[in-house]
Amino acid sequence: MEDHSTASHDDGHGISEAHPKSAGQTKRQMYVTIFLILGFLTFLEIFVPDVYGAEWSGTTKMLLLCILAIVKAGLVAAYFMHLNHEAKWTRWIAYTPIYMGFAVIIIMLESLYR
Amino acid sequence: MSTVHAATESHGDHTEHAAEDPHFGKATGGKIAMWMFIAQDGMSFGGLLFAYGVLRAIATDWPVPADVLGIGLTAFATFLLICSSLTMVFAVLAAQEKNQANLVKYLSLTILGGVIFLGIQAYEYTHLVGEGVGFVNSSFQGEQLNSLFGTTFYAVTGFHGLHVLSGVIYLTCILVGAMKGKYTQGGDSGSPVELVGLFWHFVDLVWILVFTFVYLL
Repeated sequence: MEDHSTASHDDGHGISEAHPKSAGQTKRQMYVTIFLILGFLTFLEIFVPDVYGAEWSGTTKMLLLCILAIVKAGLVAAYFMHLNHEAKWTRWIAYTPIYMGFAVIIIMLESLYR
Repeated sequence: MSTVHAATESHGDHTEHAAEDPHFGKATGGKIAMWMFIAQDGMSFGGLLFAYGVLRAIATDWPVPADVLGIGLTAFATFLLICSSLTMVFAVLAAQEKNQANLVKYLSLTILGGVIFLGIQAYEYTHLVGEGVGFVNSSFQGEQLNSLFGTTFYAVTGFHGLHVLSGVIYLTCILVGAMKGKYTQGGDSGSPVELVGLFWHFVDLVWILVFTFVYLL
């Protein structure tokens, strides 16, 4: 005989349903945190050239913007595209543009020294 | 072992589950294919951006982008695309949780973000063309600019805009399926939503780089 009244405070949503919800909630909170970080980094990017442009040299500004862009791209790739949870080979396939980027930089630098 | 578990007990549909081989990875064929496509597409954008970098570096009279382009409006568009990435990842979660209402809601919001982004790009293009920045020749407020400024700007942002448009169309197709309940059946049925999510996040990622190198630098 099935007895559905084992949990005296059971209103139909047993404890077993709370775990998937809390796992989903944790993921949602992480995504919102990443989103807020991305928003803040975008805000920083706008103001690096404008507010501080006069004080920082062109090279510093370029480096700062590049670092900000790479960090933002990395966050999207790792957390929104779930690359941090993927298997090794999937990640190595995803890094292909970076390998090719290095190859292109080497080829360009070589051609400058002809 | 989780790799064996990943080979789901499919009911005739062999397209979305991983192979039953302990040495095989956990990713479905679709996911690997999408990553390979993203890697290739990333190299296309990389080629365009490197070419832009070289042309700009060797030019002597390149205008300061902030003087010609609308940074404020484009910054809002960037933020909008990041918001749409958030709604996209919520949609993927909703598919995994078999919540059809949320899936439809978040897919719709993602599409809306993409459409507004395209609208902002279209507005910016018409405004720039009106000011004289063309694909072949560039001038701004009567002053002649390095003609490559307009060429590279439209080539890079236009190529990206086409990706946003394709993504919106792709998302709409997935939305139609989502409204029919195809992706909230549990197991690997939510996989197509994850794949469109990967493409959409890639589009956002590329824009983050394009915005930095073309507009801000």
